Amino acid sequence: MVDKRTTCTGCSLLCDDVIVRTDGLYIDEIFGACLKGKEKYDLITSKNRLLTPFIREDGELVKTSIDKALEKAIGIIEKSSKPLLYGFSTVSSQAQLKGIELAKLINGFIDSNSIICQGKVLNASKQTGITLTTISEAINKADLLIFWGANVAESIPRLLNKVLFSRGKFRMTGREIKTIIIIDPVKTASFGVMGVRDIALKVEPGRDIELIRALKEECCTPDSIPSTGVAGIDRDDLKRLLIQLTNTENGIIFIGQGIVGSSNNSEVIQELLELVQMINIRQQKGRMSVMMLGGHYNMVGFEHVALSLLGKNHSLQFSDNKLIETSNTIISKINNDDFDCSIIVGSDPISHLPWKLSKKLASKPIILIDNKKSATLNFADVCVPSAITGIECGGLAYRLDHVPLELEKIINPPNNIFSDEEILSKLYEGLKRG
Amino acid sequence: MDLYKFLPKTNCKKCGKPTCMAFALDLLQGKVKIDDCTPLLANKYKKNYDTLKELIGSEEGKEKELRIDVDEELCDGCGICVTVCPVNARYCTPTLSGKAPDYPPEKHQLFQVKAGKCELLNIKYCRRIEAEGRERECRVCESYCPREAVKIDYV
Repeated sequence: MVDKRTTCTGCSLLCDDVIVRTDGLYIDEIFGACLKGKEKYDLITSKNRLLTPFIREDGELVKTSIDKALEKAIGIIEKSSKPLLYGFSTVSSQAQLKGIELAKLINGFIDSNSIICQGKVLNASKQTGITLTTISEAINKADLLIFWGANVAESIPRLLNKVLFSRGKFRMTGREIKTIIIIDPVKTASFGVMGVRDIALKVEPGRDIELIRALKEECCTPDSIPSTGVAGIDRDDLKRLLIQLTNTENGIIFIGQGIVGSSNNSEVIQELLELVQMINIRQQKGRMSVMMLGGHYNMVGFEHVALSLLGKNHSLQFSDNKLIETSNTIISKINNDDFDCSIIVGSDPISHLPWKLSKKLASKPIILIDNKKSATLNFADVCVPSAITGIECGGLAYRLDHVPLELEKIINPPNNIFSDEEILSKLYEGLKRG
Repeated sequence: MDLYKFLPKTNCKKCGKPTCMAFALDLLQGKVKIDDCTPLLANKYKKNYDTLKELIGSEEGKEKELRIDVDEELCDGCGICVTVCPVNARYCTPTLSGKAPDYPPEKHQLFQVKAGKCELLNIKYCRRIEAEGRERECRVCESYCPREAVKIDYV
């Protein structure tokens, strides 16, 4: 029995203080991980785990060997002219790199989950600029935390523990010195940690943009807020919010799905980033920064890999083994039926995407590379099981604050199970050979 | 006050408390027993002793014991209770990810997160048992639990 310090891949926070007790074959005890992380470690022996390759024969999924499954996958890809590659948010950065190389070889279109999540913020920041920060800074320096449209207590359970309650270097008293503001239309579990000085703002659904515009206006011309308030928040609360925003030494706005998933998300995100820039210009002693909350553990990784390779962070369309300009995203591609087969890596788009899109996606052949059973498996033509990154194989992953962390291998994967990187390499080699 | 009436009222300090009033208050909270007041055992105060026994006797039989319940259904192992507990904070060393309790736990540590759930290690170092004065009123773990899974109770 050995106690090993490891990095948990349950969510995008990538807690690096989790201890596992292992005998080299199984994981016996997990200390420090939350329920989400524990589920990830439990996946090794779970009945939901994929351990055998499948291919579809006469409409039925049949167990097969890995070579036959890869052979069939290569056959499908060779026949297609417009392949689609999607997922890549729960695999290591090395596998993402291989995925982009594969897309280049087969002239495909590659996109990650990030495009329907925090990638939107990075896209908007190309026009407005963005001030990013790291988790360590949040622990050691931050004195104001704003959770905008995010229920962090349930989505990323240990984030509040780390950024709000930990006693940092310059914030020795921990919780007492940090103020939190939660902007949300409904009362969530995150409200449970609020103290006397904290502010809870119940914004009316879909009216965040009015609130941001009112704050921007108040920044330029004081006393411009109407006495009736804006978006269901009264004038005094808005003024308190603005005082907190402009007087903070080191404030962080956590952007959650409430903003990213709203109907007019691109406008809201742009206005919010502009507000942050505006406050930073007017402020004397400190600054405001932004942190994006993603779900999957290596969502940021794809942006970094694609940016460093090709200078574009999402929606990469290849033609003649070269990157070409396109305005398509994964959504428009599926919606216009502009594909003839799809390679899904470590994701479950059939259950994540709306029914209209999943129906279209399921109508074409699907090659699935994943480590757990999902709704996509029921529609897949070929399924190749993969090892769990961070437990059965190593790799690099980017935390939600864009910090790269090295994941380590703890136990050996089961027989004939390869990592995502190896499977994509095999596909690449097979296709190159012809 | 009722209890104070039946004490010797001599402020002899034999029980370790400065005044008989202080002893009466502690008697009410169950921190001391009637037998700790040695002069009361003398024949002179026999009547008072019996009355006192009668007054708090019903509660003395089953002393109230501190219990911290963690609801396993609600707990999601966020570890906020581990970090906020002031007893942990007193002994833990600073780490890179803030000053939070380390694993494996110290002997003073009250909570630890094991297999995705919060687990109570040993209650005897809890401020509600160990500390003096206002610190005894500590309810930090209960009040900051976002899922309201921690409950402090006397049974």
